[in-house]
Amino acid sequence: MEQCFTFEKEQFPLFFEAMSEHGTVLAPVRVSEQSFAFRPVSSAGEIAFEALRTILPPKKLFYPQRETILGYEGRTIEERKPDVKPQVLFGVHPCDLAGLGVLDAIFSSDPADSHYLARRKATIVVGLSCMPDRYCFCNSVGTDSPEKGYDVFLTDIGGSYFARVNSPAGLQLLQSRPGLMQPASGDARQQYKDFWVNRDRAFQIGFKSGNLPAIVDMEWDNPIWEELGQRCLSCGNCTPVCPTCYCFDILDVASLTGDSGERVREWDSCQFSGFAQVAGGFNFRPGPVDRLRFWYRHKLHGFEDAYGFPTCVGCGRCTVSCPAGIDDIVGVVLRLQGGQDGQGGEER
Amino acid sequence: MNALKTPFFPVHGVIRSIIELAADNRLFEIQLQEPNGLPRCRPGQFVQLWIPGVGEAPISVCSGKVGASMELCVRRAGRVTSALFQMQEGDWLGLRGPYGNGFPVELFEGKDLVLIAGGLGVAPIRSLWQYLLDYRQKFGRLILVYGMRHSIDLLFRAEFQVLLRRRDLDVYIAAEDVVGPQLPTVSFQLGRVTDMIKLAQITPGFQAAVCGPPVMYKYVVQELRAKGMPDSNIWLSLERHMKCGIGKCGHCYVGGQFTCRAGPVFRLNDLQFLPEAIECA
Repeated sequence: MEQCFTFEKEQFPLFFEAMSEHGTVLAPVRVSEQSFAFRPVSSAGEIAFEALRTILPPKKLFYPQRETILGYEGRTIEERKPDVKPQVLFGVHPCDLAGLGVLDAIFSSDPADSHYLARRKATIVVGLSCMPDRYCFCNSVGTDSPEKGYDVFLTDIGGSYFARVNSPAGLQLLQSRPGLMQPASGDARQQYKDFWVNRDRAFQIGFKSGNLPAIVDMEWDNPIWEELGQRCLSCGNCTPVCPTCYCFDILDVASLTGDSGERVREWDSCQFSGFAQVAGGFNFRPGPVDRLRFWYRHKLHGFEDAYGFPTCVGCGRCTVSCPAGIDDIVGVVLRLQGGQDGQGGEER
Repeated sequence: MNALKTPFFPVHGVIRSIIELAADNRLFEIQLQEPNGLPRCRPGQFVQLWIPGVGEAPISVCSGKVGASMELCVRRAGRVTSALFQMQEGDWLGLRGPYGNGFPVELFEGKDLVLIAGGLGVAPIRSLWQYLLDYRQKFGRLILVYGMRHSIDLLFRAEFQVLLRRRDLDVYIAAEDVVGPQLPTVSFQLGRVTDMIKLAQITPGFQAAVCGPPVMYKYVVQELRAKGMPDSNIWLSLERHMKCGIGKCGHCYVGGQFTCRAGPVFRLNDLQFLPEAIECA
């Protein structure tokens, strides 16, 4: 049986101490009036518990925007190992946990990505419950209940946190402050279940995803792609903010003398015009319409073939980040499901 | 903790010879410096060629046998290939691979085969015909169709002079246009790849291996279907710009598959449900 504990919110500084003991604590902090970011914190007071979606998902902590993979000098080539220190990532919501699960599957599939995995393995992940806002739709894509990718998951049950443990490291973290954790009482368990039932009722938008892969393929020629693609700026905002977008480029950065240098990996975006271009200039996705449709299909159907799962986790980041307002995934899915005229679908 | 080695680590290769095949097309023979640096290679696979300070590019392996050395037929087209054309015999570069699935040579055994190459698509097709001719008795009839825009673009001239004399291989070479002061030294016909497919004695039981520029596939597929060939007998090698070769970077993603892992050789009936793979009527 899964081990469940509770601890009072007033005791959170003790829990923070336990996390700090393991390593650097990374948590959402407020960086502007309306935005949050995962940053290193040195006290519990810095944490923005109310943060719903950070600007960038936690992938940036395991898979930085830019990192050196190899260095060379003359004929000598050497791997540049990432500088890995133990850390605790606190405050990860279910959508982002699912996002990490997707990246874990991709980067640990053979041949595994040593840079990503080294950082991932050195990190304890503490999840935190949340209540959806008007952009959240994780319950439509099946990522609303935390299943994997975390060591401890905390659910806010009023005066206390309800802690579920998912790994030996998580258990050790909880037990490192004697007396802090109480075995979850029957009342606490009921409060926990009530929270998740209420949370499920709180979603304001959504769709039924059962027929989604088939619908996306059926509607490949739907005029909606032309309509939305015409408004696309190809800015690529939608991809760095996505918890599951991980496409990259690897480039050489040579020294001025040219006899030494580095191979550097950088985030890339399928929304950039040259992404699918081959030698000689032929481009498989030359226009924003092609690229936007590709992105939608990839998020809603994409990895069913290669890995067995779709990649949208319902966090709503693309919807709020798109300057053209065309990444309204829920709206688009409802229109696709409703057919050509955009009517119908099953709005919640 | 960091016991894993990055899959992006290259092995050293040294350019042993450079042969000018046509304007902006050269054949590079690369000697691998670590004897077992790269695993065995199948016809139709590719490597990531790295020029330090410039970058990597995916290049089809062009020789049927790959042991201590391999041949790469390269056209000067972009940054990496332009830098390669500045290099000399004896210079070193990096290689990763081989990647991709290659042609299904085991499945081809005992069957009649038509190999169809357009332009630089002849490079991976050459690795296949060299392999098939090395094990000639395992295969049925062999037809090789090779088309190009201008007659002066003909690659592997000397090799074709030998191939054209073989009785166990029918070769059809076509150029859309004759260009240059002298005619090519091998016999060829005016026309396109598709005209040669019409001429060739291809029956529905043939297996076809096709590689060429993206625009070619649609027309070649039409001709092969007109010959009565089922889609399950048609194998297409797709071109994409693979940045990693190991199914991670996303650049070669087509429909639901990574071209670098599931391909680059795809069976036509597997492609039809992959949007964007090829234009197929």
